[in-house]
Amino acid sequence: MDIPARAQDYTASRLDRLIPNESELTAGVLIEPGKSYGFFTDTTLCIGCKACEVACKEWNNLPADNLGLTGQSYDNTGALSANTWRHVSFIEKSGACGVRDNDQAPFQSGWLMMSDVCKHCHNAPCIEACPTGALFKTEFDTVVLQQDICNGCGYCVPACPFGVVDLSTLDGKAHKCTLCYDRLKGGLEPACSKAGPTDRIQVGALNDVPRRAARRVEQLHAMGAESAYLYGVPDSPGATGDLVHLNAFFLLTERPETYNLPAAPTRASNRVAPSLAAGLAAVAGLAVAAFSLFSSRD
Amino acid sequence: MRTMEGVVTIVQEGRFQLQDDAGVSHLFILSPGAGAETDQLTPLPKRQARVRVRYEPAENVIGNLAQSIALTDA
Repeated sequence: MDIPARAQDYTASRLDRLIPNESELTAGVLIEPGKSYGFFTDTTLCIGCKACEVACKEWNNLPADNLGLTGQSYDNTGALSANTWRHVSFIEKSGACGVRDNDQAPFQSGWLMMSDVCKHCHNAPCIEACPTGALFKTEFDTVVLQQDICNGCGYCVPACPFGVVDLSTLDGKAHKCTLCYDRLKGGLEPACSKAGPTDRIQVGALNDVPRRAARRVEQLHAMGAESAYLYGVPDSPGATGDLVHLNAFFLLTERPETYNLPAAPTRASNRVAPSLAAGLAAVAGLAVAAFSLFSSRD
Repeated sequence: MRTMEGVVTIVQEGRFQLQDDAGVSHLFILSPGAGAETDQLTPLPKRQARVRVRYEPAENVIGNLAQSIALTDA
């Protein structure tokens, strides 16, 4: 990333005011209403430090949850939930029959780490399911849940094909990542992408960041990592079932299921018409059977 | 029911952080029965108003469930 010249204006360690359009200096992107923004998460750069998880909890004032040990390596949050909007998975690659190979490649390549988050789908199924309008698309093309409008019905929970949205047992409302809507409005990049030491989460405009991601895939292929591919960009795994594309997309090196991602997610609304037709057909069938049964008695 | 007094320093949706007289910060989640809306919390950090919170510890999280919140000078 080229450092803009105006970065020289802010060299002091302590600043007495907010830097205007700070995201331009920290992420190389100017956050402007009316444009589409999203995350590119490069799992090959994730070192499992969980700085993104902590930054998310700090900024959004989310409580530490799932107290105690999960027994899953360093994964103490377990999954995305109402109180965990960024979740770093630790997946150990095993050999045949689930037994770890004796010989491991250097640099801990037996581990996959991925920072999962709300995908901010282009055609968001959670928005389609919400009866109160609490879920909406922002001026940054992200999906945000308004807490004061949510009535806690929970329809968005099964509608999400990624299992992101969750109802809180504390306040009874649904919660999920807002892509730091308040920070975007202030010209700041999201807390998680700003916190990471390896720049594995990149925020950017959707007319730019997929191109950046495609270049990274080409680079990995040239380095010999032939299995690298993008999940969630148009015409790729994850962007199926009328979702078109995911605003938060990923670079993966294994099958999506390995990362607990669905290979072919779909919109729940696509299943409404077939379900309704099947229900009506069943009712009609029962009516015909009942009519024929009772008419034969006479 | 426990009570705590202090100043609200951070508000995010229905969650707020209360700094007590010893300077220790505590995280609270607004209960649905608290009789307050999230919008009413938003101005509190700017006002630096002193509030009294009735609460109970929340299960499986490091935080408390606020059952009521009131300005002490009201």
